[in-house]
Amino acid sequence: MIIVSEDEDDSDSNPFLFLRQPVHDSILNINHDYRYLRMGYYVSAHAETFGVDVTPSCAEIMDAYRNPLLIEKARRNGMLTGDYRLLVSPQGELRLPVLLFAVNPFTNNSMKVVNSGEKLPGMIKKMSYDARFPVSLHPLTGEVLEIIQIFGESTNEETSEFTKKFFEIFNIPICKLVVQIDDDGIILNHCEPAMKKEVDWDIVHDKVHEIKKKRYENSLLCRGIQFQG
Amino acid sequence: MKIACFVEAYNFKDSSERSALLRFKSTAESMGHAFEFIFKDKISKIQNYDALFIRAVTDPSNSAYIVSRLAEQYGLRVIDDPHSIRTCSNKVILHDIFMKNNIPAPKSSLFTGDYSGEALDDMRKTLGFPVVIKTPYTRFSSHVEKANNEEEFIKISRHMLRKTRVLVLQEYIHSNFDWRVGMLRNEVLYSCKYCIPEGGWKVKSKINGRNVWGDTIAVSRDSISTELKETCIRLSECVGDGLYGLDVKETDGGYKVIEINDNPSIYEGYEDAVDKDIHERIINALVS
Ligand SMILES: Nc1ncnc2c1ncn2[C@@H]1O[C@H](COP(=O)(O)OP(=O)(O)OP(=O)(O)O)[C@@H](O)[C@H]1O
Repeated sequence: MIIVSEDEDDSDSNPFLFLRQPVHDSILNINHDYRYLRMGYYVSAHAETFGVDVTPSCAEIMDAYRNPLLIEKARRNGMLTGDYRLLVSPQGELRLPVLLFAVNPFTNNSMKVVNSGEKLPGMIKKMSYDARFPVSLHPLTGEVLEIIQIFGESTNEETSEFTKKFFEIFNIPICKLVVQIDDDGIILNHCEPAMKKEVDWDIVHDKVHEIKKKRYENSLLCRGIQFQG
Repeated sequence: MKIACFVEAYNFKDSSERSALLRFKSTAESMGHAFEFIFKDKISKIQNYDALFIRAVTDPSNSAYIVSRLAEQYGLRVIDDPHSIRTCSNKVILHDIFMKNNIPAPKSSLFTGDYSGEALDDMRKTLGFPVVIKTPYTRFSSHVEKANNEEEFIKISRHMLRKTRVLVLQEYIHSNFDWRVGMLRNEVLYSCKYCIPEGGWKVKSKINGRNVWGDTIAVSRDSISTELKETCIRLSECVGDGLYGLDVKETDGGYKVIEINDNPSIYEGYEDAVDKDIHERIINALVS
């Protein structure tokens, strides 16, 4: 497995070099931001063109970052999700308070909490760019937390089982999750890129070393040399 | 079967596009299927259908991708499927696919902003001038420019790099028209010539400050050369088995593929002017 990263010094390659070369091995693509049209996305796309396994794949990236796809996938895999609605303009009876997430190509860090029925139509209009893009509405039922997920580990101890499960399902090495904690448990609402400064790079570093160690041991085993200690 | 056709309001503005959409509907109905137009506010109802046909502009970052992926996951037959959208919408990914599969195409390279003398020399030697510069996300020729010399290249590319970290550079290939070959399930569905308007170099060119489209001349799919057909089949197979429109230049040195589009334009009286069965074939692909 080859580790490609712009962020992690001990990676095997950086994205700029990687994109210019053919790929023959499976790829672990480590980035705090896998958004479409960013380097993190291109690394996965390049690996896919060469038919090798890549973590995360482009489909996995899109499934995590596009809110309705995230929620549907989480549901199918038994994670708790809110009763979300996708709207282009204010319609029908809308439960309050509510969390709003933009589902457009431009907005990152889009969470808005709306408590008042008066403000809701204006906010939907704004976030939908006047009905051009959908907005995802999630009922607000618990305490809202933003957590950073790194290879299944969480920056918040209370949610460590949850992030483990998230990583198993979504296969995104680093991301920010918006969740709510209420009496039923931890509800997944949103996933977006983490900011570089929000990531605990020591965890990433340890992970990279673990993978490299395993890779080295395997190569010794392949050459018939028993690994000692 | 119940077919959903995902559209946006703009799909009904041009009368020949509107007529084509209505032709799809009447064709499906005459074949015994229900055909309903759905808009983005009904994305979450997609599981109520058996097949999805997308006519709204596709891109991984717009609503069409969401409906395509949801439909795929609910087990619907989908044109355009998410994999084809992800692949065809991005010129950097296409560049990769062309290289990997030895698709005959203009010489091309990726550019990430290295303006050193060595890099510019290298570019001049391999691609020469004029050079064509494209952003990954261009469509309808909107972010495709031609630089006639190094000065123009630096100016245009610097401007484009403000919005993207990678550009695709290509040798310029002069032609009076692009072949447009429509593919469905890796077979040729229709073919036409998209002509370059006089005074321009793209099918949609800005001439005296005005956008001008060249003429479309439909050509029977049976009459195109075997070489063109085989080139198109080979590239189509590299992407998937959906509905694609390939743009190809005919040169003295053989055919050179410019791009493969998912979601190709189908306007009444244009692409369907000679091969009249394209609506029926597409509906068939959605229901069988
Ligand atoms: N290397 C090239 N040499 C000459 N002309 C080119 C070259 N690449 C693209 N063009 C012309 O520029 C126009 C747009 O190019 P291209 O198809 O790559 O971009 P696009 O924005 O995806 O276009 P569209 O959506 O209209 O198909 C086409 O008319 C094509 O013939």
